[in-house]
Amino acid sequence: MQKYSIFNLIKNAFSGHQKWDLAWKDATPKKEYDVVIIGGGGHGLATAYYLAKEHNITNVAIIEKGWLGGGNMGRNTTIIRSNYMHDDNALFSEFGMDLWRKMSQDLNYNVMFSPRGIINLAHSDAQMNIFARRGNSMRLNGIDAVLLNREEVKEIIPMADFSDNVRFPIFGGLMQPSAGTARHDAVAWGYARQADSMGVDIIQNCEVTGFDVVGGKIQGVRTSRGDIKVKKIGLCVAGSTNILAEKLNMTIPVETHLLQACVTEPVKPVLDSVVTFGAGHFYISQSDKGEMVMGGDLDGYNSYAQRGNLPTLQHVLTEGIAMMPFLSKLKMLRTWGGIMDMSMDGSPIIDKTHIEGLYLNCGWCYGGFKATPASGWTFAHTIAQDRVHKLNEGYSLSRFNTGHLLDEKGLGTKTWIS
Amino acid sequence: MLHIKCPHCGMRSQNEFSYGGDATVKRPELNKEISDQDWDNFVYYRKSLRGKHKELWQHISGCRQWIKVERDTATHEIFKTVKAHEDI
Amino acid sequence: MTQNYRLDKIGLINRDKKLSFKFNGKNYFGYEGDTLASALLANGVHLIGRSFKYHRPRGFFGAGVDEPYAIVQLYRNNETEPNVKTTEQELFEGLEATSVNCWPSVNFDIGAINNFLKVFLPAGFYYKTFMWPKSFWYKVYEPIIRKAAGLGVASTKHDKERYEHKYEYCDLLIAGSGPSGLASAYAAAKNGARVILAEDKPRFGGTLLTSEVNIGNQTGKEWAENIISELKEMPNVIVKNRSQVFGYYDHNMLVMSEKLSDHLPKTKKYNPKQRLWYIRAKEVLISSGSIERPLVFGNNDTPGVMLSSAAKEYLKVYGVLVGKKPLIFTNNDSGYETAIEFKKNGIEPVILDTRKEPNSEIIEEAKNLGIQIKFSYVVVAAKGYKKVNAAEIAKISDNKNDLGTLENITCDCICVSGFWTPTIHLASQSGNKTKFDKDIDAFVPGVSKQSETTLGAANGTFTLAETLKDSFNAGYELSKKITKNDNKISHPTVVEKNKTTHDKFWCVPLPKGKNYKRFLDFQNDVAVSDIEIALKEGYRSIEHVKRYTTLGMATDQGKTSNLNGLQLVSNIENKIVPEVGHTTFRPPYTPVTIGAIVGREVGKHSRPTRKSPMHSWHEKNNAVFVDAGVWLRPRYYKIGEETLFEGSKREAKNVRANVGVCDVTTLGKIDIKGPDAAELLNRVYTNAWLKLPVGKARYGVMLREDGIVMDDGTTTRISENHYHMTTTTAQAANVLSHLEYYLQLVWPELNVNVVSTTEQWAGAAIAGPKSRNLLQKLFPNIDASTEGLPFMGYIEADLFGVHARIFRISFSGELAYEVNVESDNGNFMWEKIMEVGQEFKIQPYGTEALSTLRIEMGHIAGSELDGRTIPYDNSLEGLVSKKKDFIGKRSLDREAFIADDRQKVVGVVPIDKKTSIPEGSHLVKDAMAPIPNPKLGYISASCWSVEYDNPFSLAILKDGKNMIGQKLFAMSPLKNKTIPVEIVSSHYVDPKGERVRS
Repeated sequence: MQKYSIFNLIKNAFSGHQKWDLAWKDATPKKEYDVVIIGGGGHGLATAYYLAKEHNITNVAIIEKGWLGGGNMGRNTTIIRSNYMHDDNALFSEFGMDLWRKMSQDLNYNVMFSPRGIINLAHSDAQMNIFARRGNSMRLNGIDAVLLNREEVKEIIPMADFSDNVRFPIFGGLMQPSAGTARHDAVAWGYARQADSMGVDIIQNCEVTGFDVVGGKIQGVRTSRGDIKVKKIGLCVAGSTNILAEKLNMTIPVETHLLQACVTEPVKPVLDSVVTFGAGHFYISQSDKGEMVMGGDLDGYNSYAQRGNLPTLQHVLTEGIAMMPFLSKLKMLRTWGGIMDMSMDGSPIIDKTHIEGLYLNCGWCYGGFKATPASGWTFAHTIAQDRVHKLNEGYSLSRFNTGHLLDEKGLGTKTWIS
Repeated sequence: MLHIKCPHCGMRSQNEFSYGGDATVKRPELNKEISDQDWDNFVYYRKSLRGKHKELWQHISGCRQWIKVERDTATHEIFKTVKAHEDI
Repeated sequence: MTQNYRLDKIGLINRDKKLSFKFNGKNYFGYEGDTLASALLANGVHLIGRSFKYHRPRGFFGAGVDEPYAIVQLYRNNETEPNVKTTEQELFEGLEATSVNCWPSVNFDIGAINNFLKVFLPAGFYYKTFMWPKSFWYKVYEPIIRKAAGLGVASTKHDKERYEHKYEYCDLLIAGSGPSGLASAYAAAKNGARVILAEDKPRFGGTLLTSEVNIGNQTGKEWAENIISELKEMPNVIVKNRSQVFGYYDHNMLVMSEKLSDHLPKTKKYNPKQRLWYIRAKEVLISSGSIERPLVFGNNDTPGVMLSSAAKEYLKVYGVLVGKKPLIFTNNDSGYETAIEFKKNGIEPVILDTRKEPNSEIIEEAKNLGIQIKFSYVVVAAKGYKKVNAAEIAKISDNKNDLGTLENITCDCICVSGFWTPTIHLASQSGNKTKFDKDIDAFVPGVSKQSETTLGAANGTFTLAETLKDSFNAGYELSKKITKNDNKISHPTVVEKNKTTHDKFWCVPLPKGKNYKRFLDFQNDVAVSDIEIALKEGYRSIEHVKRYTTLGMATDQGKTSNLNGLQLVSNIENKIVPEVGHTTFRPPYTPVTIGAIVGREVGKHSRPTRKSPMHSWHEKNNAVFVDAGVWLRPRYYKIGEETLFEGSKREAKNVRANVGVCDVTTLGKIDIKGPDAAELLNRVYTNAWLKLPVGKARYGVMLREDGIVMDDGTTTRISENHYHMTTTTAQAANVLSHLEYYLQLVWPELNVNVVSTTEQWAGAAIAGPKSRNLLQKLFPNIDASTEGLPFMGYIEADLFGVHARIFRISFSGELAYEVNVESDNGNFMWEKIMEVGQEFKIQPYGTEALSTLRIEMGHIAGSELDGRTIPYDNSLEGLVSKKKDFIGKRSLDREAFIADDRQKVVGVVPIDKKTSIPEGSHLVKDAMAPIPNPKLGYISASCWSVEYDNPFSLAILKDGKNMIGQKLFAMSPLKNKTIPVEIVSSHYVDPKGERVRS
């Protein structure tokens, strides 16, 4: 594989950039694989990469209904963090943070991981206490966290509303300095390029139409481009989990919902950190291109439409202005929607299933992007070893029967309000 | 913004309503034996499919009645709305 | 001062009103009715800014929303706005603007060095480099890239402007006031329909303002003006200019932004800057027209290269010449219209037509006027750096592959026309699956998904006669469907010149040995070579191409570039365009000011503020308020320089010693009536309710179906079939919905009604050993003894002529009563309590003292009921009935919930009895244990116990019931604190609850 470097870039400039290799090949499905990963998003691509790299399993196909990285991988707001309270979430995410820090070099693809820090703003002493509980938990788990007072927040984001004309004054915030953002498309492409180079078949425009399950065991998968024999299938299709589960006669504790995001026109750098509003649900960061990338609440009803409605955005942007009034003057350039797997406790599922050879990776709610490397890594382990890794033990399906729930927000099963 | 016909009040914009999830979920009867699995299915497991979806909404800023709505989750088209006690 | 490029007679500007303005510090003037673009062009200014990546000089390309690069930083009324399109910004007196994305100036821009490095900066170059050394991305490379990107500068000042919202319903919403919009609006309005006609430009009429046509013996412009004035007079019609319908949402909800003040030097007092319209339309007519497509050739981004339709608009609307030696480069007849306008105004254009020997009336006219036309000719490259000064042209072979000898031709502008792209954004947003029309090489709307119809050029209809016919019909038919009226008006006759077919050719090949950049996306600097690289590297889906090259992702959202990009991909990939498919059209059509989307809900009004009837008393008495959801509650009543800690301690002590009064109005209150009310409560609460006597209150806990505690509170039986429920402030709305859900859907057989009475009752809690004496004085006619009004008793009485409800309930753990009166009498009640309470040393107390009182009593509250705890965790298992079923009961026997070491609320006291334990600290066995240090529990609430005068906390602790007496550490790494603590009972004060019963 061609190495990406400044030297190669200069060298290629002299041949008019005509000699670059394909980043990945468009494969056609073979008759049989050792493992088929369904879903060519970040998690699926990462799973295939770690199957090859960590477990030496390379007779692997990724099958993708549309185009690679075209689901939530290409629609998220690129926030990467591990500021969780529950141990299972925290340790899993922090393991992922390590993978993020090395990712550009590991993949030889600049994914632009940028640890610019995330600040969760608090608007009351009670909220400061709730954040302290989470921050202390993070620290005891070895994750960086700082509790900022009002003045400290003001120093970092002076453009937030510190005036008197404010409904919910800023009391302080919880900051994870090592959190940040990355270039989402690059992560998908980087994983695809490496997986491809190790022999993984990346098959786009290939829709799953059914499964062959005999005697409780996976025997194959049927697709719009032919049947494939395979003993192990990894399901990585957040946003379509319920649809594929139906084809397997399974019901999963996940509902499908719509989340919108939007960006403003690009402006010169004004906001360095990722910031979230504490008196509602709004988050913002500024991309390298200069766009303010913003999101917040779900549209609030089950949906598979990748298009949202304005009142939700209006509500989200109202909170945005409440937090940073100057945003009022910027112009919203583009909006889009993504389909979320909203699990019943807000935490994901990475587990085996009652069908032998069928592995499930779903329920990422709106936190899937940051989990890409850790999810791929643990899912690859679960598939390769046919047992869960300690890191994803908490993400079991059975927790909905045992009560070992991982409800970070304490909102329960009303998936649409979280 | 969805336009929902409240069977009690008529066509109203979505911002008068709040959503209540899958309308096909039947709460098990009180005081009746039920298996763990059936109970968990009631609490946690939803089909949440693409296409026609029967769901609950409450006309919270209106008559406060819960209503049943049949809506396409892919297109958001609404086919039918009925009162709480009616079948959909 | 003269304007070298302004014509004397032509144009719709008001020559009587001169306006002065500044661009990059230099003074210019223009006229009322100019845009900033037309005014600059009139002054011969073509260099406006620098491009995103290579910092190449940028001028004007269009004359409206499609403008990709004539973007400036605008200064208006002591504010600045980034990324303003000069082609949309109307000129006003004193306008100031500067170039964006260049330093030190637009004329001499250091960043232009990128232009020389461009061979090293192909599409996606940043993915391939900036990776070494590892730490450099965030610390070195990224900051440089961030600084270079971003176009204009955002002002971080608060927005002084106001924005409004308006909701409107109509029969027909018509987007665009060109020929099809006017015709359909007129036909529908005449047939009685309620019509809204929206035009994004200041002037109505669209292409009728610039085309040479006749409608019913009037010029197109006259016809448009007459129709508009008639429409404006009709009561069933709303006509709006400067109004862009930017989003087509579900169920025919469209959103329009109306600019009311952007064209004025400052917004008039009490006026909004912009107004956002939510419009629910029965039918939508999309008459959004079309946008001219660029032709692609070398250096086609040089200032002076622009759309031929824009050149015509500058000429006919603004009387401005974009050049005096124009070269028209076209693949269709539209270019001829521009050439003819130049000619008529005394300018000699040269036309290069890619077609071999086309024939039509308009070509004939050009020939007759003596315009020089070169057929089968193309522009190979524009010459000049900051402005076009010549063009390299060549003959092109019939198969369009080979160029003849290169020739140079002097010119000062190149007007290009690559045919027309229908503006299908709104149709596509509605869910309409677009289809590719081979005849026009563009997408048009397919089958309607919602009640929408696309007309005229937006639908790919480019003749006026057909457009008007369709539009009159559509306006009539659709209005008839809605109004049932049948008033049809006749179509006017149309005179227009016929046109012949366009040439599908649009991208000029590179001559041998030349490496010109041929741009597709002008703002993001995406060239043909970038698309080629992307495809070569396997980024082949159109979405991958877009994302890898950033094609169409600039502030113009690819209005002039997307289709050419598609055509290029389809050519290279040997696919037809519809197979490549287009990327999704998403709202907004043009960027919308966020303030307009938000409206009036800003600052203190970003969310409602709820205040109790006693609020003004609290204010007058130095209350320091705290947000409790949307309520404001007194946190403490400050005396002198008292801190929160001192004040709340004083208040709490006074409750324990004398009597205090606390405003509890914010508690949720639900009135429950009906013969089955007791049965409902019995199902909703975990404890038994069937036998609660009239005149008694009971504490209850309700669960969600998953077994988690949802809320707690007391409910009182007012009479046989009448109960009064209280909820926590936070959960009031949820609990009401919860009850309604079960009553309406699950147990409709229960005959019960519930209604919120939170606003109806004002509540005051009087607590403390002297509260009985106070109560007796307030209500001399009641028996306030414990026999007359026992713990959890309820009576109604008269408070100085005002009806009151008295509940003997306690949250503070003291002897306490809660008095409710109708809200209107709240302040009266409060003042009476304070007045009568004087002799008992009454003091008001706030939420902080209330917290202290409840914590040291071990009463749970929101910090323990955090949506993750079950009754056991909160030591409420005694309230969980074993005998009856209730909501959530079946979930309580889950493995995790019945585990032996299940968490439970405990009390925590620092060993030194001095150090307060920060809330949110965690309890660990070994403070020195390696990370991750296992956490046993967390501090949910802390206070300074006024009873014992030492710190006391509540904690939710694993295996809490067996931990009493254990020594642990409370750790708050955030505050760098490790405090040795002892675990005690959560009931720290009065564990037997004797005081409340006293």
